[in-house]
Amino acid sequence: MTELLVIVLLGGFVALDATSFPQMMISRPLVAGALTGFVLGDPIAGALVGGLLEVFHLSVLPIGAARYPEGGTAAVVATAAYVHAALVPIDGPALLLALVLALFWGRVAGLSAVWLRHGVDWFAIVEPAAAPSPRTIEGRHLLAMSADFGRGCVLVGVGAPIGALLVGAGSALWGMTPSVAHVALSIGSAAALGSGLSVFGGWHKHAILFLAGTLAGATLLLIA
Amino acid sequence: MVVIDRRAVWGMLLRSFTIQGSWNYRTLVGTGFAFALLPVLRTVYRADPDALRAALARHAALFNSHPYLAGIALGGVARLEAEGAPADVIERFKNALRGSLGTLGDRLVWAGWRPICIMLALLVFLAGAPWWAAGTVFLIVYNIGHITLRVWALRLGMRCGLRVGERLRQSTISRLQQLMPGTGAFLLGTLVPLAATGEFVGMRPALLWVMAALGATAIGVRMGSAVRTPLALLLALVAVAGVIAGSRT
Repeated sequence: MTELLVIVLLGGFVALDATSFPQMMISRPLVAGALTGFVLGDPIAGALVGGLLEVFHLSVLPIGAARYPEGGTAAVVATAAYVHAALVPIDGPALLLALVLALFWGRVAGLSAVWLRHGVDWFAIVEPAAAPSPRTIEGRHLLAMSADFGRGCVLVGVGAPIGALLVGAGSALWGMTPSVAHVALSIGSAAALGSGLSVFGGWHKHAILFLAGTLAGATLLLIA
Repeated sequence: MVVIDRRAVWGMLLRSFTIQGSWNYRTLVGTGFAFALLPVLRTVYRADPDALRAALARHAALFNSHPYLAGIALGGVARLEAEGAPADVIERFKNALRGSLGTLGDRLVWAGWRPICIMLALLVFLAGAPWWAAGTVFLIVYNIGHITLRVWALRLGMRCGLRVGERLRQSTISRLQQLMPGTGAFLLGTLVPLAATGEFVGMRPALLWVMAALGATAIGVRMGSAVRTPLALLLALVAVAGVIAGSRT
C-alpha cells in the first residue's frame, strides 16, 4: 500500500514535470521507469521498461498545441505492472505486455492532458476587463498546476493496479515461446528508432550521417 | 526609469520554470507569462495598484513561446516596463517575438538537445553501465543545457530590450541549432544495430530476425512518426496472440 502511494505521488510529479514544472525531464520514460523500479525494489527492470519505451517516444515532439502521448506516467504504470508480473530478470512476454500497456496508457494520459488544458480554458484564464489582482493570477496559475499534479496521481492510481492485473494474467497465460516476444520487441524498437530520423530532418537530409552511425553501432557490437 | 532589484529578477527566473503551468488553448502561456513577470511588475507599479492590475491584464493575454526561451520575452518586457515604455510598444514587441521563440526553441531543444541527450543515455545504458548511470548522465547533461539556456535567455532579454531580435540572429544559438540534426541522425544510427540485435531486450535473435529488424528500421525511416500507431497495433496483436495461444492449451 505504501509503495502504491509513493508511485501515485511519483506519477503526479512526473505529470507535472512534463509540461508544468520544472521540465527537468524527470518525466522521460527512462528516468520515470528507473525511479518507479527503484521504489518497487527492482530499478533494473524499471530502466529496462523505461529505456524501451523511450525508443518509442523519440519521435514524439511536444510542439505547439499538438496532441501527443505522455510517456512519463505511462512508464510508471508499465514499470509497476512489469515488476509485478516478471518471473525472470528479462521476461520477454511480460515486457511485451508492459510495453503495449505503456503505449496504450500513454495515449490515455495524452488525452487527459488535452481535457485538462480545456478545463484550464474555463478556470484559469483571466479576462482583461476583469483587471486581475496579483493574487488572482497566482491563485489560478497554481490551481492549474495542482490539477496537473492530481491528473498524474489519478492516472497512476488507476493505471498501475489495473495494469499489474492485466500484465500479470497475460504473462501467466502466455502460450508461445518467449523468444516470439523478444523478436517482436527487437523488430518494434528498430522500427521506432527508424521513425526517429524524421525528428532530425529525415533520410534525404541526413542519410550519410545516419548510415555512418549505423556502421559505428555495428562496430561497437563487434568490439563488445 | 525604475531600477529592478536582483530579488525581482531571481523571482522572475524561478517563476519562469512554471510558465506552462496554466497552458490552455485560448491564451496558451498567457497566465503563466503574467505569473512569471509579477515580481518585476510589483517593483515597477509599487505605488499604483490600479496600474499593476492593468499591466497584469495585458500580460495575461495570448502569448506563446518555447518555455526555455520565454526568458527572452520576459527579460525584454521587464526592461520595457521599467523604462516606462507605452503599452502598445510592449504589445508589438511581444507579438514580434511570439512565433520565432516557439520555432527556435522547438528546433533547438525538443528536436535537438533533448533527443541527443536521451540517445546518449540509452547508449550508456546499453553499454552495460549500472541502472542509475544512464538516468543520471541524462539528467545532468540535459539540465546543464536547460538551465544555461533559461539564464542566458533572461539575461539577453534584459540586456537588449527591443534589440533582442537582432542579437538573437547573431548569437551562437543559430549555429548550435544547425549542428543538432546531424549529431542526432548519427546517434540514432548508432542505436539501430543495438536494437536490431536485441540489446534492448537482452536476447540475440537469429540472423533472419536481425535482417527483419533492419527492414523494419527502413520502414520506420520511410513512414516517420506515422509508423507509431500501426506499430503499436502490431505489437498489441502479437501480445494478444500470445495470450490466446496460452489460454487454448
